[in-house]
Amino acid sequence: MKFNDFVLGVLVLIGAAAILVSARNFSPIPGQAYGAETMPNAIGIVAAGLGIFMVAKSALAGFPGRAVALADWARSPAAVVGVATALALIVVYIVFSERVGFVPIAFLILLVFMLTLRTRIIVAVPVAIFATILVQQTFGRLLLVPLPRNDFLSFLW
Amino acid sequence: MDILAQAAGLVFQPYVLLVIFASACFGLFVGAIPGLTATMATALLVPITFFMDPVPAIAAIVTATAMAIFAGDIPGALLRMPGTPASAAYVEDAYRMTQDGRGDEALGAVLVFSSIGGIFGTIVLVTTAPALAEIALKFSSFEYFWLVLLGLSCAIFVSPSSVTRGMISLLIGLFAATIGIDNPAGQPRYTFGNVELLAGVQFIPAMIGLFAVSEVLRSIVYSKDRPSVDRSGKHTVFTRQWTNIRRYPIQMLRGSATGTAIGALPGAGADIAAWISYAVSKQFSRQKEKFGRGHVEGLVEAGASNNGAVSGAWIPALVFGIPGDSITAIVIGVLYVKGMNPGPTVFINDPQLIYAVFMVFFLANIIMLPLGWVAIKGASTLLSIPNRVLMPVILLFCIVGSFAINNSVFGVLLMLIFGVLGFIMEENDIPIAPAILGLVLGPMLEQNFITSMIKADGSFLAFFERPIAAGLGIFTIVVWSIPIILYLRRRWAGSAASPKEDLPQG
Repeated sequence: MKFNDFVLGVLVLIGAAAILVSARNFSPIPGQAYGAETMPNAIGIVAAGLGIFMVAKSALAGFPGRAVALADWARSPAAVVGVATALALIVVYIVFSERVGFVPIAFLILLVFMLTLRTRIIVAVPVAIFATILVQQTFGRLLLVPLPRNDFLSFLW
Repeated sequence: MDILAQAAGLVFQPYVLLVIFASACFGLFVGAIPGLTATMATALLVPITFFMDPVPAIAAIVTATAMAIFAGDIPGALLRMPGTPASAAYVEDAYRMTQDGRGDEALGAVLVFSSIGGIFGTIVLVTTAPALAEIALKFSSFEYFWLVLLGLSCAIFVSPSSVTRGMISLLIGLFAATIGIDNPAGQPRYTFGNVELLAGVQFIPAMIGLFAVSEVLRSIVYSKDRPSVDRSGKHTVFTRQWTNIRRYPIQMLRGSATGTAIGALPGAGADIAAWISYAVSKQFSRQKEKFGRGHVEGLVEAGASNNGAVSGAWIPALVFGIPGDSITAIVIGVLYVKGMNPGPTVFINDPQLIYAVFMVFFLANIIMLPLGWVAIKGASTLLSIPNRVLMPVILLFCIVGSFAINNSVFGVLLMLIFGVLGFIMEENDIPIAPAILGLVLGPMLEQNFITSMIKADGSFLAFFERPIAAGLGIFTIVVWSIPIILYLRRRWAGSAASPKEDLPQG
């Protein structure tokens, strides 16, 4: 999804307005003129100026470029599926890692992602096993990161 | 002389040298993995150092830190995933060089000039530490405010795409930095009742998301369009650097000096140093147009700068016991445990120990060259692994790295959000690096501004009342004015040449 300067300028203006409105919920430090609202206000004002500049510049130049253009890759089913899979696998980790444990989830992420990218299964399976164990040993044992564990693979820890 | 001999006796022992070698390998490993930081390497070494004498304990930390900061450049150059915010300043140049088949030269430049910058900083540390620390202590919130503003301005002006897009990125970073309760007023902002958001947006998961995850996504969608990396087998890690030293001696010295000076300021550090040096390099270069397109000049200056800053950060730490960053904060703790209370008295009570520490600094920066070469050669094999195998493994490293920051899946969620954001930004030619700098420096900007305003009772003039602050302030305003003046001059020249054409130029 690619926006031209005019649409980007409008988006910046909307963001600026949202920040400026939300900054009204914050108040200065008691007895002072400045506080929690200062930084959001400053960001909002600069963003508003930037948005106006972008919109005006684009308007003066005759609104060059298409307002919203779909990137070429978005027409390739393989690319769309690849991106969706990568994002979905991160969500899977967030939701299930505590319950299932690190090792099975990591193996699943690697295997599914590699197969989605059309890695041959004969390569994907050993790489997934090796990389999972490598990450678990270096992070979990050497660097003492408390990765979620599970009972039936406790011998690895 | 007797003290130097005693110090050398403490350092040049097989045990200490082995500790230096082992911690160098550890630092290289940690630094080269996105998500693992030099601070984490230091923190992990602390329990091990409890069993060591003071010199090997400090040697382990100093060596691991220097190596980790350099190693952060390796994924930056090879995969466009910088290991540290300091590496983000020149990641585009380094990566483009790799794409042009000059990856060895890019990494060699960063390695050699990191080492030179580190040694320069150490020489300054040894010779002028007390004097420099005196100046650094004169910096108050007014001076820091301008310095941070200068760093942020540099991020916009060096952005390879347009200034407006650089500003969008910076504002995104600054906005993300406002999230949480950690602000001068102590009010929760944009947390939506979420307890984890109270702590704010941590920059490591954000950086992994913006750079690494978005790059993983880009590798999926542009797998066919990406230029293949030509590795002709020419070994240019070191050979090309002699040419670079002769071609860019001023850049090398300027970067080292700037980095050391900025590093010596408590709280400033390698990130601001790298950005300011990169911007200075671009501003004074005869080949400005090549910056951001695979040009080695910025790497020379900013590479020397960020490692100079690492050495410089030890100046206030050792002389006054004031930590310049999180790493020196940990080290000060270790020094106390070892009975080497940092401060002016350390030079009187334990001169042989402090000189031994200085020797370790030199050794760490020298050993960086051969070990860095091995790391570059080893890491370069990454490029021969097909993306369809490499990217899933990198994604797993990203997940674990983000998780490791707080040992919570919230870090992974942040990484995901910033990954998608980074991907959308890149699709729209909005540079990512200024957002990272905004996120890192935003809290410093706010803190120093509010503190200054409270001190000055709301008077803006106070920002120009102290000599150093006034100098920095005027310099910042000049930096802002130059592009506007140049733009107006171009417009004026353009309209004088063709009076009918009065539309703004891109």
